Amino acid sequence: MGNVIDIDSKALDFIKQRGGILTVRLSPRHGCCGGLAKVAIAEANPPADSSLYQCHRYQNITLFIDPALIGQGLSLNVEGWWKLRHLYMEGSPLLQP
Amino acid sequence: MPALQDNASPSTAEGMGFFERYLTLWVALAIVVGILVGQFIPAVPETLSRFEVAQVSIPVAVLIWAMIFPMMAQIDFTSLLGVRRQPKGLIITTSVNWLIKPFTMFAISWLFLMVIFRPFIPAELASQYLAGAILLGAAPCTAMVFVWSYLTRGDAAYTLVQVALNDLIMLFAFAPIVVFLLGISNIQVPWDTIALSVILYIVIPLAAGYITRQSLIKKRGAEWYDNVFMKRVGPITPIGLIITLVLLFAFQGEVILNNPLHIVLIAIPLIIQTFLIFFIAYGWAKAWKLPHNIAAPGAMIGASNFFELAVAAAIALFGLQSGAALATVVGVLVEVPLMLALVRIANKTRHHFPATVNH
Repeated sequence: MGNVIDIDSKALDFIKQRGGILTVRLSPRHGCCGGLAKVAIAEANPPADSSLYQCHRYQNITLFIDPALIGQGLSLNVEGWWKLRHLYMEGSPLLQP
Repeated sequence: MPALQDNASPSTAEGMGFFERYLTLWVALAIVVGILVGQFIPAVPETLSRFEVAQVSIPVAVLIWAMIFPMMAQIDFTSLLGVRRQPKGLIITTSVNWLIKPFTMFAISWLFLMVIFRPFIPAELASQYLAGAILLGAAPCTAMVFVWSYLTRGDAAYTLVQVALNDLIMLFAFAPIVVFLLGISNIQVPWDTIALSVILYIVIPLAAGYITRQSLIKKRGAEWYDNVFMKRVGPITPIGLIITLVLLFAFQGEVILNNPLHIVLIAIPLIIQTFLIFFIAYGWAKAWKLPHNIAAPGAMIGASNFFELAVAAAIALFGLQSGAALATVVGVLVEVPLMLALVRIANKTRHHFPATVNH
């Protein structure tokens, strides 16, 4: 899946434990003087509206990814422990709508 | 959606909308409107000043919460777990923001306002302006840094972590730093007053933001929270800022009309401090051979200020009519042009830094 995003093996296991569905999308951050930038984030949940995403199958997981994030050199990893364990994206600049 | 894998940085027009690009103009207009309201409709500030509880102006408190809450509601504290990923970048940004910035702000402002500009500013007013500068120096940027990071192609994950870390530190460090620096400036502020302002304008909005974020994500999902809730709530911050400034200058009209040159005099140390802090963090990052996508956002967060908090604390500690409140507003006035100049410098010096390594 290297041409879509790179997924670390631990992250892959984490997603499978959570049901095998991954959504990679853009999360907006508002500036205090106005302005907006978007951060790539990943969640082990299905998207609210799957028609807005490209769907891929990879090693028994289903990936829904915002088309703007494909081929951007993103890598997906997992960090933290117990209930704070979570997925995080690396290798991305902030983007704009 | 621009693809950002080449070396081209986004243009300012791409990164900032009409409102934020001309923030200086809107702030200047808010000052004029506020002064006109204060001069020609004095019943407005007189009526508003009656709504006070425990010396806290309720209309002002509501406006300040409106400014600060949306920023707090978008902080993802789970990103703090990523502090180990870019330790050098975080060492630089936290050291500069908390061990250097407040003290250089104090030193530069003291030198200009209390010594060099002594013939132009009465001593009592100068120490009030110094207090405002101290409040600005103790509050690093918390939301706008995402836009500055975008404009310099900063690392998104690193920007998230540094914002969450700085906000957490601010919770504990803002009050002691402010009290210490005001103390050595011979500006007495009772501990209970500053504790009240920290509770009102940091702890309550931060807790409300965190609880709102957690509960709404649990109930409606993270996508709904980002794309529906934050889309509605996010723009409240700049609106709250402009209304607060109108109100502030409705009370401040006399000070400005009597001393219009003071705005320029206050701006000079603030501008010097902004460039100094940027170059300290940026130069340190260069010396440690950090990639540009860490160096630029790491330097931007300290150069930019959380001026909503500074304005709020100045009003809470010294009042709407104080020189301290005026000084914090000058910070808002110069913020965007200054930061855009630093964005240009960062983008033009990108080639001096090691190439970004994608993980």
